[in-house]
Amino acid sequence: MENEGVERVFCCRGCHGAYLLITGVGLGEFYRRREWDNAGLPAGAYREQYSDSYLAPFVRHEEGEGVLEVLIDGIRCASCAWLNEKILARLDGVRDVRVNYATSRARVRFDPALAAPSRIFQRIADLGYLPRPYTLADSEAAAAREKRGLLIRFGTAFFLTMQLMAYSFALYAGYFQGIAADTRQTMQFFSLLVTTPVVFYCGWPFLVGAWRGMKNRTPGMDLLIAIGALSSYFYSVYALFGGGEVYFETAAMIVTLILFGRLLEHAARRRAAAGVERFLSLSPPEAQRLTSNGVERVASAILRPGDILLVGAGERFPVDGHVSAGVTEVDESPATGEALPVAKQPGAPVIGGSINLTGTVQVTVDLPLGESFVARVARLVEEAQNRRAPVQQLADRVAALFVPVVLVLAGITLCWQLAGGAAPAIALMNALAVVLIACPCALGLATPTAILAGSGVAAASGVIFKGGDVLERLARVTVVAFDKTGTLTRGEPRITEVLPVPGIAGDRLLGLAAAVEAGSTHPLARAIVAEHARSGGKDTPAEDVRTVAGGGVTGVVAGMRVAAGNRRFLQGEGVQVPDDLQEPAPGETAVHLSEAGCYRGTLVLQDGVRDGASDIVRYFQERGVACHLLSGDRQESARTIARQVGIENVRGDLLPADKGTLIEDMQRGGAVVLMAGDGINDAPALATAAVGCALAGGTDIAIETSDLVLAKGDLARLRLAHRVARRTMAVVRQNLGWAFIYNLVGIPLAMTGRLTPVYAAAAMALSSLCVVGNSLRLQRSDHG
Amino acid sequence: MDESIVILIILSLLLGAGCWLVFIWAVKKGEFDDMERPKHRMLDDDEERRP
Repeated sequence: MENEGVERVFCCRGCHGAYLLITGVGLGEFYRRREWDNAGLPAGAYREQYSDSYLAPFVRHEEGEGVLEVLIDGIRCASCAWLNEKILARLDGVRDVRVNYATSRARVRFDPALAAPSRIFQRIADLGYLPRPYTLADSEAAAAREKRGLLIRFGTAFFLTMQLMAYSFALYAGYFQGIAADTRQTMQFFSLLVTTPVVFYCGWPFLVGAWRGMKNRTPGMDLLIAIGALSSYFYSVYALFGGGEVYFETAAMIVTLILFGRLLEHAARRRAAAGVERFLSLSPPEAQRLTSNGVERVASAILRPGDILLVGAGERFPVDGHVSAGVTEVDESPATGEALPVAKQPGAPVIGGSINLTGTVQVTVDLPLGESFVARVARLVEEAQNRRAPVQQLADRVAALFVPVVLVLAGITLCWQLAGGAAPAIALMNALAVVLIACPCALGLATPTAILAGSGVAAASGVIFKGGDVLERLARVTVVAFDKTGTLTRGEPRITEVLPVPGIAGDRLLGLAAAVEAGSTHPLARAIVAEHARSGGKDTPAEDVRTVAGGGVTGVVAGMRVAAGNRRFLQGEGVQVPDDLQEPAPGETAVHLSEAGCYRGTLVLQDGVRDGASDIVRYFQERGVACHLLSGDRQESARTIARQVGIENVRGDLLPADKGTLIEDMQRGGAVVLMAGDGINDAPALATAAVGCALAGGTDIAIETSDLVLAKGDLARLRLAHRVARRTMAVVRQNLGWAFIYNLVGIPLAMTGRLTPVYAAAAMALSSLCVVGNSLRLQRSDHG
Repeated sequence: MDESIVILIILSLLLGAGCWLVFIWAVKKGEFDDMERPKHRMLDDDEERRP
């Protein structure tokens, strides 16, 4: 594009349009004022990071084509996705490109002879996006395959069942109004034709599941489904040639409805996965490495011990190392749970994942990324996930009880009819009829519809369940374990007390402190400034402000020299701090203030308890759920917070692995544990617990390993989640009840040989309607 | 009368089977894989002819 004699390049049509619009109304100034430093990704962030040999393992080969999955960072709108698609499609040898806007993933099909993966990556990078190779996690690929298979099976079953219904209605009509024997036979024959693939192709997964269940002696829902479908199928085949009533539609409907239920389950899980991805940051961890030629941005993964990194204020340390130059304060709460910043001098170790707060430092790498603290925690998480035993779902437990009961009833029918003098064939048919009527079609809908409705309601109010089984486990929780920093507490300090010396007003003391701390990003400073703004104080400008890491800050306010900081810092400034001051309690921090060399007072700050933290603890305790506090912070600080929110069981000084072990011990004792946390150090515990609950805004690894995520880090939503879970499970139980009741009524009819297809169809329709209607009730009710 | 019904049933089965084949083809081609992007696609400009 040419404009004002200068060539301008636009990233996409949208930006070009915006540019024309902006210059068109005479606001071209915007482009001169805009701060280019902050725009988009760092220049040269990509810089040929990936070679062909590195990318080779990420390419899948299908039918002579290479398929590459790329995660593209920087896709913000639909036109970004469009742009990537079009540009990549024009590369030589690229056959097909699909960019999924929701997940920022691209799938590129290309001819390996003509296009190289590195060219594709380079092209994406040229556009100003950051490509990363992406391997579908095995579980995810399996889920996608499973969904396709399920969809095909359901579509087939649906189509055939529709056909079957036409024949069945003709047969129902014939049952009431009379039908020619040969017409009936024809209809029944076509019914057999369409039902056979439904039972043996569409229902194959259930038959396999039932067989596995029998082999492992764990009868579940699959077994019940298989027994119901097969008994009605074979009963009908026999009746077709023996001249009786057929029940093909029962067999077909059971399979179709249950496949539909499985599809709903998949939909709920996918929606949750998309919801969780919103909370994760896509940008790859990268570091600024100091070399002889200056600073270069590189991926954290390629850092080697001995490399020297530059870490600016506000950035995360990419790997474990130690400070080699500069001083700063570090927020280690994501790693250790320690709420207050830790001062770091040269030589002090820093943990990957913790946040550099105040100053820019040089860090020497001690361990590569693969052996760092974060990687060790990730391994712990993986182990915990592998160890976690699957919990049997409610529907399976009910089926496990129901199957033997039905089989015993069928056996009784057989013996009773034989004893009554019936022909063996008739007796066997009646016994089979008992089994076929006992298996409710609505069984497959009972759980998925309720869970879809329940998780939908929860998602609308900011609670994301990662699966239906989470609702089930959450409803049965008996112990809740909380992390301290960032979960029960806000993770940032707040002023709790203002203690001026006599003759000085509290407001003035606060104003002085706020004036010198105004420009600082330190959490204590931010808390003081925020408190000052809240109390409505005026801003006084300070000059010549200097910050000493790990000490305090000095400045000149209204001509007077003001110092704020810890005791040692003020003494270093030549201020007499009274010795008889009350020592800060555990978890508290004192900021002393002096003006013109005279001590003026002290501000006491504390990492405050979140609003609603004690409410949520009381909520669980009132329902007989024990509450625990597990913290990586010191025992005393943990105990102080626990006292404030009303928790009695407190454990401090815990390592990440300890938290997981503690929860495992509790669960071995029969407890169902809910763990709520947000830090890296909580991740193993979140993975171990029956229900792991992360707060949005927490670390990525915590959100990834949890089962349920609370948006906006609001603890009151945990109560909502628990209520929704309990209500949903109540509805599931009602649904299962409804589903079985209609069919139980049919059992006596079947036992006496009076079952008719019309009754079987009515039971089927009524139970399904009741179940779906009951589940929809969840959407209307108020969970407040 | 009976023959006409049989013919009609077979016809309907064939019609349905046609739809079913289209459905299978659509699933295999990945039409149902991404539910998010297609709805934004109508806002895209048409691609110019390749040079």
